[in-house]
Amino acid sequence: MKFLIYRYNPETDSEPRMQEYELADTEPGMMLLNALERLKAQDESLSFRRSCGEGVCGSDGMNINGRNGLACITPLTILKQPIELRPMPGLPVIRDLIVDMEQFFHQYRSVKPYLIRHDPDPEIEIKQSPEERDKLDGLYECILCGCCTTSCPSFWWNPDLFRGPAALLQSARFLMDSRDQGTAVRLDELEGPYRLFRCHTIMNCVDVCPKNLNPTKAIGNIKKLMVKHHI
Amino acid sequence: MKLHAHGLRAWLLQRMSALYMTGYTLFVLFIFSCSTVLDYQSWHDRMAEPFFSLATSIFFAGLLVHAWVGIRDVIMDYAHSAMLRFILLSATGVSLFSIGIWMLRVVMMVGIT
Amino acid sequence: MDVACCDDGGNYMNLTKRKFDCLVIGAGGGGLRAALQLSQADASVGVVSKVFPTRSHTVAAQGGINAALANVSPDNWHWHMYDTIKGSDYLGDQDAIEYMCRAASNTVIELEHSGVPFSRLDNGRIYQRAFGGQSQNFGGEQASRTCAAADRTGHAILHTLYQQNIHARTHFFDEYFALDLVKDEDGYILGAVAIEIETGESLLIEAKTTLIATGGAGQLFYNNTNARINTGDGMAMALRAGIPMEDMEFFQFHPTGIAGKGMLISEGVRGEGGYLVNGEGERFMERYAPNAKDLASRDVVSRSIAIELKEGRGCGPNKDHVLLKVNHLDADIIKKRLPGIRDLSMTFAGVDPIDAPIPVCPTAHYTMGGIPTNRHGQVVVPEHQGAEEPVPGLYAAGECACVSVHGANRLGGNSLLDIVVFGRAAGNHIIEYLKENRYHRPISQESVDKALARLARWDQKGDGESVDSIKTDLKVTMDKYCGVFRQEDVLQEGVEKVLAIEERLKDVRLKDHSKVFNTARIEALELENLMDLAVATVCSALERKESRGAHSRVDYPERDDKNWLKHSLFFKEGRRLEYKPVHIKPLTVDSFPPKPRVY
Repeated sequence: MKFLIYRYNPETDSEPRMQEYELADTEPGMMLLNALERLKAQDESLSFRRSCGEGVCGSDGMNINGRNGLACITPLTILKQPIELRPMPGLPVIRDLIVDMEQFFHQYRSVKPYLIRHDPDPEIEIKQSPEERDKLDGLYECILCGCCTTSCPSFWWNPDLFRGPAALLQSARFLMDSRDQGTAVRLDELEGPYRLFRCHTIMNCVDVCPKNLNPTKAIGNIKKLMVKHHI
Repeated sequence: MKLHAHGLRAWLLQRMSALYMTGYTLFVLFIFSCSTVLDYQSWHDRMAEPFFSLATSIFFAGLLVHAWVGIRDVIMDYAHSAMLRFILLSATGVSLFSIGIWMLRVVMMVGIT
Repeated sequence: MDVACCDDGGNYMNLTKRKFDCLVIGAGGGGLRAALQLSQADASVGVVSKVFPTRSHTVAAQGGINAALANVSPDNWHWHMYDTIKGSDYLGDQDAIEYMCRAASNTVIELEHSGVPFSRLDNGRIYQRAFGGQSQNFGGEQASRTCAAADRTGHAILHTLYQQNIHARTHFFDEYFALDLVKDEDGYILGAVAIEIETGESLLIEAKTTLIATGGAGQLFYNNTNARINTGDGMAMALRAGIPMEDMEFFQFHPTGIAGKGMLISEGVRGEGGYLVNGEGERFMERYAPNAKDLASRDVVSRSIAIELKEGRGCGPNKDHVLLKVNHLDADIIKKRLPGIRDLSMTFAGVDPIDAPIPVCPTAHYTMGGIPTNRHGQVVVPEHQGAEEPVPGLYAAGECACVSVHGANRLGGNSLLDIVVFGRAAGNHIIEYLKENRYHRPISQESVDKALARLARWDQKGDGESVDSIKTDLKVTMDKYCGVFRQEDVLQEGVEKVLAIEERLKDVRLKDHSKVFNTARIEALELENLMDLAVATVCSALERKESRGAHSRVDYPERDDKNWLKHSLFFKEGRRLEYKPVHIKPLTVDSFPPKPRVY
C-alpha cells in the first residue's frame, strides 16, 4: 500500500516536502491510524497526533486524499492509492501532520462555551423536558477535531475574525439549551459582519464532519434567532 | 451607505432584496406573458404607470443593495489591507451609486416622456 | 527570590520557571474538577496536560455516572454504598466509599447545573439507567442508578468541566509532558519538571501543592479499551518519587470490548436490555449469576466469558468471542440511548446492532490500583509510626489514585463519580493546605537534575532496539501472563519476562533527536512509565495468593479474608511489597462485614 505524506520539520527542512511510504502488511478492517502507526514504527520521525483511536477524542484530524477526516475511523479500503496525507489546511504547521490549533481554540473560547445562568440554582436538577433536550442532539457531540473549521474557506480567509463552524456550533449548543439564559449576550457578541456572517453556506463543514454534525444548519438557526431577537 | 453595515442588517437586506427581486421578476414575467402585443410601446406604457414605476425603482434599489452586500463580502474575504479594501469598497460604492443614478434616470424618463 | 537556591549553575539555571499555588498534572475529569474548585476559590492553578484537555480519556466514558437520585427506581446512598463495597469484593475502604456515595447526588446535580446535557425523563429530571452490580435495598431488585447523557456521558462531563474552567480562566499548559515530581529533603513535593512538546524545551513548574490526575495505565495490555495516552505517567512519577503503588494487581477486564479491536461497548448496552450469548446461542450468564444475569459485576461477567471461551463455547471460526445481542430492542431505543455504541459497532465490527449482535470479548479496561490517597485526595504512605501519613504538598485523584473506593473490582458508573467527587475533595483540601502553607519552599536542585536526566537519557545516540518493539513485547507479555486468570508459575514467568524487558529497555535508542514536537521521545518516556507499572502489577499479582474481585488465581480460587483482607503497597526500590489494613469502618453507618459474594 502506497502513501504520500507531507513532511516538514522546521529544525531541518527549509520547506515542506511529500515523502513516499510503502506498507507491505495490511489487514482487513485496518484503519488509517493503524497504518500510520506502522509507518511510524518504520520511521519514528513521522509525527502526528492520536489518542483514543475510536473517533471520540478528536486528535487525529488530517487531510486525507484532499478531504479532512479522522485517521482512526477512516478504513484503508475506501482510500485511493497513493494515499495522500497532509495537515489540516488553514492553520500553521508545527511539524508533519501536526498543526497549531491555537486560532481554532481561541475562536472556541470566544463564544462563551459554557452555560450562562442568572437565576439561583434549584436544589435539584434544572428541569428540562425530553423535547427540550432533543434540541441539543447534533450540537453537543462535537469533539473539537477541527475538521470542519479548517475546511471552511471563510475561515481560511479570516481565521482571526470569523468564529468558524466548530465555534458557532458550540454557540448554537448553548443558545438551544433551555437552561441557558445568555441568549442576548451570545447574539450581541456574534453581531457584526465577520463573526457569524462570514458563513456563506459553502457547507464544506457538513461534508467533512466525522461525527455527522451539521454546523451550517446550526449557523442558520443562530441567524434565525438573531432576527427574532432584533425584531 | 455605511462602509461597515452590521452583519445582521446586511444579511437581512440581502435576503429581503433577493425575495423582492424574485417576486418582481415573476410578476413582470406574468404581466408580459399575459399581454398579447410585445413591443417597445407596450413596455413603455406599462413602465409609465406610477405603480409599475415605483415597483421597478424598488427593484433597482434592491439590486444595488444586493450587489453591494455581495461585493462587499467578497472584498472583505479577500482584500485584507486596509488601503486596498478602502479603494475597492469606494470604487464599488461609486460604481453602484452611478449605476443607481442612471437607473433612476431611465425610470424617470419613462415616466416623463 | 527564586534564584537563591540555584547558584551553582547546571541545567537548572537555564530552566524557564513558572509558579502556581497548585499544579494539576492531567486534564481529564479529575484534574479539571479539582482545577475548577481551585480557580473558583481564587487560587492560582496551572494545569499541565500532554494532550489538549478534551482529548483526555474521560471523553471516552460512555454509560454514565452513579448517584442515588432515585429518579427511576427507589434508591438511596446507603444502598449504593453497599453495592460498591460488595462490588469491590470488600477490599474498598468503607469510609471513602461512604463519602463518595453520600456526595454523589450533589456532585451530579452540580454537574447538571454547570451544563452537562444529561438525557431526560418525561418529568424533566435526569435519565438513569440500570448498570451492573446495582441493587435496591442491599442486594434486592435491580436499581437504575446511572445518570446518562445518551452513551456519551464522559464526553458530556469532560467538555462541560473544560468549559467551566475556561469560564474560571484556569491556566492551561496544553501539550506539555510532565517528567518527574520535584521533592525536597523534608519530603515536600514542590511541583514538577515538564517539557513543552511543541518546542522540546524543559521548564520547572513550582507549586505549593501538586495534584496528580493522569488517569490509568490501560496501555499495559495489548488488548485494551484505553486511549494510546493511558500510560500511567503520574503513577510512575509517584513510584520514582518513592511513593508505593497500592493494589496494582487489581486490573479490571471489561466484559465487552469489540472482539479483536478493543473498543469499549458500554455496560449501558446490557443496562438497556442487551444480553450475552455463546456459540451455542445460550444466554450463559443465567448459569453464572442467576439473579443479576448479564448485569452481574464486571469481574464476574468477564470471568464467565473467559470460561465459555476456554471450554470451547465461543462464537466465530476461532471460537474467540461471544455475542452481545441488542437487536431484539426497539431500533428507536438504540438510536436514542446508544447512538455512540451503534457508530462504534458499525465502524469497527462492521455490524449495525439494530440488525445483528456485536462480537465482544473481555478487554483490559481500568486500573483499580494506583497512588494511595485518603478521601481528601492527600497521597498517604507508611512512614514513621503511621500506615497512612500524608506526603506534604502531594495529592492524587481519579484513576491514577487508589482511595480506595473500587477495591478489587470497580462497578460501572463509579469511575466518573470517583473523578468528580475526589477531584472536588482534593481541590477543597488543597485550599485548606494553602492557608497554612502560604509560601513556596526552596527548590532542591538535585531533584530537578534527576528529572532532567530522565530526558537526557534519550539523547543518547547509536544503535539499539526501538521503543515500539519493546512496548509491543511488554503488552503482549502482560496479556499472556497477567490476564483474567492467573496462577503462580505463569505469574512467576511473567515477572521474569517483564524484568527481562526492563533490562532491554536500557539499550533502547531513539533515532529521532529533534526537539520540535518529537512524539517518538514522548512515546519513549511513556514506555518508561509503563515499564515501572508493569513491574508493580506483576509483582503484586504474584504475591497475592487468593482470588478477589478482578484478581483471579486459579491456584487459590477462594477469597481469603483471614490473610488477605489488606491492601498491597508496591515500592519501586527493591521491588518491595508491604501491606496495610482495609478501612472496614465507615464514617457514620455500620460496617458491612465481608460476606460471600453472589450475584
